[in-house]
Amino acid sequence: MTSLLTPPRASDSPDEPTRPPRATRSKLGRWALFFAMIVIAVIMLYPFWVMIVTSLKSEAQFLAGQGFSWLSWKNLSATIPIGQEVLSSTIVCSASILVILLVGLPAGFAFSKLRFRTSTAVFLVIVSAMMVPLQAILMPEFVNVTKLGLTGGYWGAILVYAALGTPFSVFLFTTYFRGVPDELIEAGIVDGLGYFGALWRLVLPIAVPAIATVTVLQFIQIWDDLLVGLLFIQNTSERPITVGLAVLAAGRTTSIPELMAGSLISALPAMLVYLGFQRYLVKGLTMGIDR
Amino acid sequence: MNVVTSNAPRVRRMTLRRRRQVAGFLFALPAIALVVGFIGVPIGQAVYYSFTQWNGLTSTWIGASTWTQAFHNSNLWTALQNNALLLLAVPFALGLPLVIAVLLHQRVAGWRIFRSIYFLPTAISWVVLGLVAERFFAYQGTLNSIIHALGFSHVNTNMLGYESTALSALGITFVFTMIGTNTMLFLTGLATLDPSLEEAARIDGAGRWRIFRSITLPHLSRFIQLAFVMTVIALFSALFSLIFVMTGGGPGYATTTMEFLIYQTGFNQGDFGTAALYGLILFVLTGIVGVVQLRLIGSNE
Repeated sequence: MTSLLTPPRASDSPDEPTRPPRATRSKLGRWALFFAMIVIAVIMLYPFWVMIVTSLKSEAQFLAGQGFSWLSWKNLSATIPIGQEVLSSTIVCSASILVILLVGLPAGFAFSKLRFRTSTAVFLVIVSAMMVPLQAILMPEFVNVTKLGLTGGYWGAILVYAALGTPFSVFLFTTYFRGVPDELIEAGIVDGLGYFGALWRLVLPIAVPAIATVTVLQFIQIWDDLLVGLLFIQNTSERPITVGLAVLAAGRTTSIPELMAGSLISALPAMLVYLGFQRYLVKGLTMGIDR
Repeated sequence: MNVVTSNAPRVRRMTLRRRRQVAGFLFALPAIALVVGFIGVPIGQAVYYSFTQWNGLTSTWIGASTWTQAFHNSNLWTALQNNALLLLAVPFALGLPLVIAVLLHQRVAGWRIFRSIYFLPTAISWVVLGLVAERFFAYQGTLNSIIHALGFSHVNTNMLGYESTALSALGITFVFTMIGTNTMLFLTGLATLDPSLEEAARIDGAGRWRIFRSITLPHLSRFIQLAFVMTVIALFSALFSLIFVMTGGGPGYATTTMEFLIYQTGFNQGDFGTAALYGLILFVLTGIVGVVQLRLIGSNE
């Protein structure tokens, strides 16, 4: 995990160590390779092509299979409350990530630097919670959160997302802080910063890359999720975008061009985050295996 | 808890070491509370409720017969069989990304742009990818257009509409959704490969295939293991969005996997007790895979 400690550079993407292009490959081979790359690119871009082209048709044009218009985009907000749903997704996403960071950072600090009795065992228990899929505990979870009266608005979903994201963030922060020299923390504590001061003034500033990794991974996961939003946010007026789309799609009555326009809008934020922070995503995915 | 309570009166006279331990415990407490409250406790509850008849409000203790009854339910076996059949998609979900990663690693002109394009679908919700896949497989969808363009104008498929083909369509969609993540993993793995090793082998006269088999593949083994575990876990616990949007579990029960069966049993049939029991079965299945993953991570520390 030392790689996470190095300051981010422009060339820090997954596979950067530069090396000369292979001279041994024939010109024909290179063209064949390039062609294969194009074909794969076309396949991977297919979803975007479908969304764009389909959304630029009216329902009638879609059924007829020809023609283009802006009609579906104009009617979009009448069919899907897109503004409100994007807002809901944003609120749920940011609040969940905030809880995950607020809970994960001190815990990571504790498990790496302020070890208490049984801390290793507790750490292992928390990390193994990473392997529990929500579906496995779905029924008790749903009933508990309902009994707490939290399934109306955002809070139920926020807490469930936070609980599901915490094990990974604790694991990541703990591993990350293990790479920070003990002396640095010791000096801070002895100098009168106290434990909280050490966390706030010393640990937090160094933790920025790890915070970015957790934030990016969780953002994409929570933004794209369906199950939690579907069950734990019962008010239709507080529905996240993925739930809005999925429910309309499952109903099989909504105009497909409008659904595609909505899909495109829902896909944009995660795509932008993804393109901007690819590096952190890769690091998060290969956590623990990346030497 | 006793770390805090038993020492509370002597807080002022605590040694530095003791005080640090208390601080550490307090710092970890919110995370512990959240994980125990929202993951640990429900596991215990699921065990209890799996022996009861439960509608979410009232539960009646039945005993072990709930389990024998569940295993006599053909829906459970259908779901397990669907999950098992979907495992056939795993070699493709690993093999294709491996090929793509190796191609990207050749660094043809513009490979960085290609890389970004290949990873892009990874950012999109599986809800959206499911919607697109539904268009792809639909009667008037892209798949039939392709078949017609190839000259088979009398052939019309509707894979999601038939019990015999719906699961295959779901599997194909699943492979597509996993390509980005797995390619990313393999590309990261390839980047850690020392190029001079390949160079040396080449000078020794080894062919490209030989180099791939004897140097590249063994080097990637840890990454392949990780990708395998992540793919299988996704297969057991991340298909919900795709199924919900594409098929709703049908036709019949043709695309109902364990996770979808849990949802259906609980929320469509209101049988919370059986759904909790199914949840435990899923828990055990993913637990087995999870242990493998923990050992992978653990062996590195």
